[in-house]
Amino acid sequence: MKAALVSDALGWRHDLAGCLHGCMATLLHHRGVAPLETLGAAWGFWHLPGDIRREEYYYPCDSGVSLLGALAPYHPVRSTWHHPADAAEGWAQVRAEVAAGRLVAVAVDNFELPFRPAYQDVHSNHMVIVQGFDEERGTVRVLDAVPPRFHGDITLEQLTAARDSGNPAVHDRDMFFTDVRIGNRWLSVELDAAPEDFPAFDRAHIRSVIERNVEGFRKGTPGPRLTGAEGLTAFLAWAGERLAAGEAVRDELFVVTGAALACTAVHADWLALAARTLAEPGLADAARGVERIAHHFSAIRIMSALTSSGELGPDRLARRSHALRSDLEQVLDVLAYEGAAL
Amino acid sequence: MTTSTTTTPVPLDLTALADNVGVTRPDRLSEGAFNIWGNTFPAEELPPAGTVEVHGIPFRWPATGDGSPDNVRCRGQLVTVPEGRYDWIHVLAAAERRTEDPLLLHFADGSVDPEWLRVSDFWPETASRFGERPAFSCTRLHYPRHIQHAMGPTVWRQRVPVTREERLRAFRLPDNPAMHLFAITLAPAVRPEATQ
Repeated sequence: MKAALVSDALGWRHDLAGCLHGCMATLLHHRGVAPLETLGAAWGFWHLPGDIRREEYYYPCDSGVSLLGALAPYHPVRSTWHHPADAAEGWAQVRAEVAAGRLVAVAVDNFELPFRPAYQDVHSNHMVIVQGFDEERGTVRVLDAVPPRFHGDITLEQLTAARDSGNPAVHDRDMFFTDVRIGNRWLSVELDAAPEDFPAFDRAHIRSVIERNVEGFRKGTPGPRLTGAEGLTAFLAWAGERLAAGEAVRDELFVVTGAALACTAVHADWLALAARTLAEPGLADAARGVERIAHHFSAIRIMSALTSSGELGPDRLARRSHALRSDLEQVLDVLAYEGAAL
Repeated sequence: MTTSTTTTPVPLDLTALADNVGVTRPDRLSEGAFNIWGNTFPAEELPPAGTVEVHGIPFRWPATGDGSPDNVRCRGQLVTVPEGRYDWIHVLAAAERRTEDPLLLHFADGSVDPEWLRVSDFWPETASRFGERPAFSCTRLHYPRHIQHAMGPTVWRQRVPVTREERLRAFRLPDNPAMHLFAITLAPAVRPEATQ
């Protein structure tokens, strides 16, 4: 086989999420699984201190839990990172998957991808979908739903350079997601049940999801593994204390709140979908309340970047943190009420 | 204290409050940083300094492209206004990821009301989330070392209601650095009897 093109590659983007949700949505859709219903169900806060990976597709994962398993813990899905020995093996493995009709996600350095604005400018550890290849032309078909959206061909040499990059931090705009080798990694998804056996998006399932999310927030742990409302409070307090002590918090605060932002915003859309599906305006109210929490995270994420220049001190971070917690308590009350009423 | 009894819109001068360079010229790309990555709007695709009408509302658009601050990054500043009765606070704004927060409206009688300011993402290929309309849609985005064509950021026109029928004298911006304001215009109150 000299060429292959996997059909049905959905470009999926959420404005407050990134390449992780986009790629997982594409892979799930290709397997017959509804993306938003699956990726948007779980809402919570999780942080494992010290477990910050310099990846745009970072998401907190407990030991033994896969990236997709962490994103969608209420559904029978998993993902697997594959770590080829070198670029040649990396392409051979991806090629075999695509030739077999399966889409894959690959880690890449934006610096090497001609369709990314960061091309030959900024290094960053990104993720895109590989949909096909044409060996006579020496090209691969790539899908990247993150603006500027790209769905087209690049050369295999370009993809290989992006996958095999050392992703070095060279200048001051190589922030957050640099300085870690890309390593030709690629990711596959596995379903532990047929799509038709996944939880139906019905009243019982929606009620169960809401109950689990509210319980997760309210039974949170303040350490060492930070979860739920207590964990979020502890994390933001920790950031404020370090900031007050003159220590660097930018990267950890940015990456952790970026994951929380994406999770929260996608869940808000999940709730809005649930409201429409069940014709329950109360769920739409709750969706808007969750969206408000996402907008707090938008602010904190930018605040984190300003900490390194001294533009933002611990008092401002604390005020925002308290406002977030107050609104979080309110929306949890709304969710608990609306969930119980279903 | 200045007062306003005008029936025409009142564009505010934000020059003294401007603290961020969000617009650059192609030959001075690195002189701004609207967002934390150093991206900026292209000056040549935005109006020159002075009065610009957007959707029938006159705004005072800042001078841009010379490396001087051209927008207000929200960090809790108090904006004083010609004291008067207004119905709307219109803004030309953009955000680093969409976000929202209340403005605190200060009235002459001492009362203070929060009213929501919601701003969608400036990032290309991103739709309005809060129902505001694009004021300026660009075709390219400035990076510190290059221009990215076919990737245009947006400045939005948003509005905030002034529901209290009292004289407004100031409003406090939220402490939210994701939110940037390029221009603000106050729309005078329409007397209720005038609409009946």
